[in-house]
Amino acid sequence: MPFPPSPVVPTLPLTFQPLPYSSLQGRAGFSGFPSPAQDYEPRTLDLNTRLIKNPTQTFYLSATGDSMEGWGIFDGDLLVVDRSIKPRLGHILVAMFEDEVLIKRYALYLGTPHLCSAHPHYPPLPLEGTNCQLWGVVRAVIHEYLR
Amino acid sequence: MIGLVDANNFYVSCERVFDPALEGKAVGVMSNNDGCIIARSAEMKAMDIPMGIPSFKLESLRRRGDIYLKSSNYELYGDMSARLCQLLRDTCPAVSPYSIDEMFIYLEEFTDKQCQILGEWLRRRIRRHLGLPVCVGLAPTHTLAKLANHLAKESPHYQGVCLLSAQSATTMALLKQTPVGSVWGIGHRLAERLAINDIHTAWDLREMDIQQLRKRYSVVIARTALELRGTPCLHMNALDQPRHRIMTSRSFGQPSGVKTEVHNALRRHAQRSAEKLREQRSLTRAVMIFLNTNRHRRDQPQYFPHAMVPLPSPSDDTRTILEAVHQGLEQIYRPGYKFMKAGVILLDLVDAEQYQLSLLHQPPRNRHPYLMATLDTINQRMGQGTISFGMTDAKAAWQLRCAHRSNRYTTRWDELMQAGTHPGAIQECAARK
Repeated sequence: MPFPPSPVVPTLPLTFQPLPYSSLQGRAGFSGFPSPAQDYEPRTLDLNTRLIKNPTQTFYLSATGDSMEGWGIFDGDLLVVDRSIKPRLGHILVAMFEDEVLIKRYALYLGTPHLCSAHPHYPPLPLEGTNCQLWGVVRAVIHEYLR
Repeated sequence: MIGLVDANNFYVSCERVFDPALEGKAVGVMSNNDGCIIARSAEMKAMDIPMGIPSFKLESLRRRGDIYLKSSNYELYGDMSARLCQLLRDTCPAVSPYSIDEMFIYLEEFTDKQCQILGEWLRRRIRRHLGLPVCVGLAPTHTLAKLANHLAKESPHYQGVCLLSAQSATTMALLKQTPVGSVWGIGHRLAERLAINDIHTAWDLREMDIQQLRKRYSVVIARTALELRGTPCLHMNALDQPRHRIMTSRSFGQPSGVKTEVHNALRRHAQRSAEKLREQRSLTRAVMIFLNTNRHRRDQPQYFPHAMVPLPSPSDDTRTILEAVHQGLEQIYRPGYKFMKAGVILLDLVDAEQYQLSLLHQPPRNRHPYLMATLDTINQRMGQGTISFGMTDAKAAWQLRCAHRSNRYTTRWDELMQAGTHPGAIQECAARK
C-alpha cells in the first residue's frame, strides 16, 4: 500500500542505489538469432550485493583521523557500517564513547574488553566504567585512490 | 491482531541516531523555515515547552545551552521512515504505513502471547538496528491498537508494548478513563456533539446502540463504536480516502513585496498542489490563493487578501491551475506590502473517473492527460521540481530557511556522519581545516 500523502518525499537511501548498469543485453546483431549468452541472464557485478548484505540496516560513515592506519583505515575512508551484526572480538566497531563517535577495534587488553586503536599514542579505552554504546559493526572500508 | 508501531518523538529520535551529544538533552525540531516547534524530546516536554511555540521565544534558552533546536531535515526523516517500514516488512506478514512515524502491522493467525513476544522483539530490534525507540500497541482493531499504543507510551510499566484484548478488564478500565475526543477519528467538534447526548468516554460510545448511532450521527461513528468493541470494520483503504481540498502554503524565508517573487512562490505551490490532485485522481473546480503579511509587525502595513478563481470546467491540468493563480494574483496584488506567506488551495474536488463517466457533464476542456502523467512520472523518479512550468529562481526569497539543519547523513555523500579514530580526532581535523 502506498504512503498516504505527506510533506516528505523520501530520497532513495544511498545504501539502496544500484549500479547504473544492471544488465547486459545479450543480442547477436540484426539476424534475429538469439545470443547463446541469453540463457545466462548476464548481470554485471554489483558492488552493493557484495558489500551490503542488509541495506535497511547499513549506513555509510566517513573516517576522520590517523590512528587506525595500522588496520588499513585512513583519514577520509568510507566505512560501510552494518547495525544488524552482533559484535565479536576482533571486529572493527563504530561506538558512541562519551558523546563522541569513534571507530575502534574491539579486542581484549589485559583480559578485559577494550576499544583499541592501531597507534601507540592512543591507549586502549576500557569498556567497563565508561559511557560507551555500540553503534554498528564495520563490514568494509573503501579507500579511494582517485577521487 | 493488529499492531501499531509508532516511533517516539520521531524527528528528535532521528537526530539523536547521528548525534550522540543530543542524548538526554532537551531537543526540539522546528517547522519549515524555522518558524515554530513541531517535535519535542521528552526532556523538552518536561520543561513545559508547548508544541507549536514560535522558535524566537526559545532563543534565549537555546543560547544558554539549556535546549537544542534543529531545523527539520525531511530527507533524513523520510529515509529513516523508509528503513523502519522495510524492517517491519522483513519480519511481519503485512505492513501498512499510516504516516511518517506510524505503521500498522497485521498479525493474523498469531495468538495473543505470540503477538506480545513479537512486539517486544520488534521493539528491541528497531532500537538496535536503526537506533530508534518505538512503542507497539496490539489489539483486534485499528482503533483499539491506537489506544493501546498510547498506553504503551504513557505508562512505563508496559515497557513499550501494550496488548489490549477486546473483553479484558484492563480494556474496560482504560476505555472508561479515555475521553471520547481522544478516540481515533473523533474530532473536537464531534466530541462536543456526543457530549450533549451524555457520551463522554470511549466506554460510553462503545456501549451505545449501533443503529441509533448510525441514525443520529453517521456510519463512521457507528463503525468506531464497533471497533471499540473489538469488531474490525476500518480498512486501510478507508483511512487514506482522497481529501476534499488540497492546500500548499509556506512562509517565505524572508518577507517579500516583489510581485515576481510572490508569483513564483504561488506558481511553485500550484504545481505541487496539482501533483497531489492527480495523485488522488481528482479534478478541482476552483483555485484559491492567499497572501499574508507579518501579523506581528505592527509597524508595517497589513494586508491579508485572498482570491477565489472558479475554473471553467473541472481540471487537473497544471497549466489551467497556473492560469487561475495568475488571474487571482492580478486581482489581489498591491505594491507596498511585505508578504510573509503565500498559499494555493484547490477546492471543491470531484473524482476524475466519476466525472468522466457522467454524460451530463461537458468533457473537461483543454486536457492533456499524457503530458501531465509524463510530468509526474519524471518528477517522481528524478526528484521534485525536475521539470516545472516557467522558471523558478533558486535564490528567491521563498526558498526554505534551515539555519540549524543537521547533515542529511543517509542521502548525501558529502554529508556523511564522521567517526573519529581516537577521542578528539574530529575536532583536531576541523581545527586543521
